[in-house]
Amino acid sequence: MIVVEDLVHKRGDTIALDGVSLRIDDGEFVILAGANGSGKTTLVRHFNGLLEPDSGSISINGHSVSEDPVTARTAVGMVFQNPRDCFVAATVEADVAFGPENLGLTREEIDRRVTDALEAVEMTSHRNRRIDQLSGGEQARIAIAGALAMEPTHLVLDEPFTGLDWPSRQAVLERLDALSAGGTSIVIVTHDLRELSERADRIVVLSDGRIALSDTLDNATPKLASLGVQPC
Amino acid sequence: MSNSTTTDVDLVGDEVTLNIARAALFAALMGAFAYVAFPYPLSPAPVTLQVLGVFLAGLFLGPVWGAAAMVLYLVAGAIGAPVFSGGSAGIGVLLGPTGGYLFSYPLAALIAGVIAHRGIGIRSLTEASVTRLIASMTLAVAVIYGVGVPFMWWNLDMTLQTAIVTGAVVFIPAEAAKMAAAIGIIRSDAIRAE
Amino acid sequence: MLRYEPGKSIAHRLDPRSKLLVQGGFAAAAFAYTTPRGLVILTLLALCVLALSRTAPHRVLWEFRFVFPFLLAAPVLEGISLDGFVISDATSPALASYRVLLVLLVAGAYIRTTSVRDSRAAIQRSVPGRPGQFLGMGVGFVFRFLPVLRADIGRIRDGYRSRLGTERSVPVRMRILLIASLNRAFERADRFSLALRARCFSWNPTLPTLRFSRIDVPAIGFGLVLFLAAVYGFV
Repeated sequence: MIVVEDLVHKRGDTIALDGVSLRIDDGEFVILAGANGSGKTTLVRHFNGLLEPDSGSISINGHSVSEDPVTARTAVGMVFQNPRDCFVAATVEADVAFGPENLGLTREEIDRRVTDALEAVEMTSHRNRRIDQLSGGEQARIAIAGALAMEPTHLVLDEPFTGLDWPSRQAVLERLDALSAGGTSIVIVTHDLRELSERADRIVVLSDGRIALSDTLDNATPKLASLGVQPC
Repeated sequence: MSNSTTTDVDLVGDEVTLNIARAALFAALMGAFAYVAFPYPLSPAPVTLQVLGVFLAGLFLGPVWGAAAMVLYLVAGAIGAPVFSGGSAGIGVLLGPTGGYLFSYPLAALIAGVIAHRGIGIRSLTEASVTRLIASMTLAVAVIYGVGVPFMWWNLDMTLQTAIVTGAVVFIPAEAAKMAAAIGIIRSDAIRAE
Repeated sequence: MLRYEPGKSIAHRLDPRSKLLVQGGFAAAAFAYTTPRGLVILTLLALCVLALSRTAPHRVLWEFRFVFPFLLAAPVLEGISLDGFVISDATSPALASYRVLLVLLVAGAYIRTTSVRDSRAAIQRSVPGRPGQFLGMGVGFVFRFLPVLRADIGRIRDGYRSRLGTERSVPVRMRILLIASLNRAFERADRFSLALRARCFSWNPTLPTLRFSRIDVPAIGFGLVLFLAAVYGFV
């Protein structure tokens, strides 16, 4: 469970997040939407301690993020917007193993996690391939596998569909469904709600660094346009 | 979840992580420059951007991380990354006639950085005067040739005179062109590193 | 291009640390015995190393063609004098050039038979503490980003070529290329460091496995003999 309390984040003179409180339960599927510059990306980067709050607090499964960043980064898997710049190794296997290696796990445990993570994104047969030879959609799935290898309780994806063609998008969605069914909580940062409405338990809309709306999609739909999000 | 292991994980600090990422990317950029040759009328050898890269490493990463970036460049090349002249690699290149130039890169980046930043720490480059920047660049070039030429002299068992002609004189016009380019960059404030 | 190719040769199966030792020993011996007799023996040894790694000598030599002008220049320039070509003046530079060629051949065999992962593991296991970790991880990142940045530079050059940039002077073109490529590299480094932190980038990760096997024994012995011979030769 992610609990954010009264989070304030300043960037120079501007206030990026202005007193955000939010709770994301285990297993929940949440869409985090909002216009450009509304603070979506800034907010999720606080979930695993990549940014430091100016005030307020965040805890993951009962652990304070600022005091225990390792637990936060293990529990919250983060998939960034440009996966291409985020791979650490040239081959699929070496990249997916990077997280578990940093945790100092045994080689057997690392191998098991790599196997499981690649299975979860249906990329088992690509284990020994070079990442730069994969398509954009395949790279997106490897990026997800890299986060899953940490065995997180929450998976956060920042604009995961940018630049993906329709079949790749379907493949990623299908994998997210399977993860969600397996109990992993999914948080998708996006302003493109296509095909997400029937999946999400809840939509949270940010506007100017505040939470403008947090509701089921059915209830939220009439208000979306005024908050800069295209309704689906 | 593996809570039992998390206390033993010795995380690399945020700032150090950024510096390691920058040093590695800069080393890779040096390697990519090895493929870029500008034909230059006064020089028999094509002009590459590598020597300039050494100086810029000291300037933009600071003396310590600039030197660290150059060490990464050399080690990556030694174990097979195609980053030396013309995309070659291996310990053989480091022990060959041009090895001295390569070995001097970490030292040259360190010295350029120390002069430009007035010490081991890192300061804003807008404070540094043009004279200081030119001095740091000139000294970096002097270190590179100061180590490179004697190394070639020893490596190929030549007379010193021949070593100076093959190892330095033919490259002087090219170095002048690079300095001109570098001064233009620093003055243009176009790099968003800091 | 000369790069790592998976294979089953004896050299492929050796531990990278044994191969580094042999390389180092060979280079030391080559610099200690730069005499006609010494170089004949070392040539035979270099050919054996290449055979054990199933690497064709001409491929390695072609790879290092950029060194040839220097290697040729030394004996030629030393030999030329007002009285014509003096062979005795050219002899020692020629021997020195030849020994460089042999060192290049053996280094080429290492590159062709050793994966990045193995080399990285060798560094992390041989250099202690944080410096070893920095070098090992950093070198891995250099391999990872080299093709990316080469592609960036290619796109930047295409960009200014298409806008008649080739008619500008060399310093101007260098400046355009440097500014654009440095900015891209720094942007990528920022995103990359965030990704590293998100995945718990640590000083004490599980290292890749490396294991000496029985075939490493003769290789280590060979490397040590070369080193001892070099020490004896220098003294």
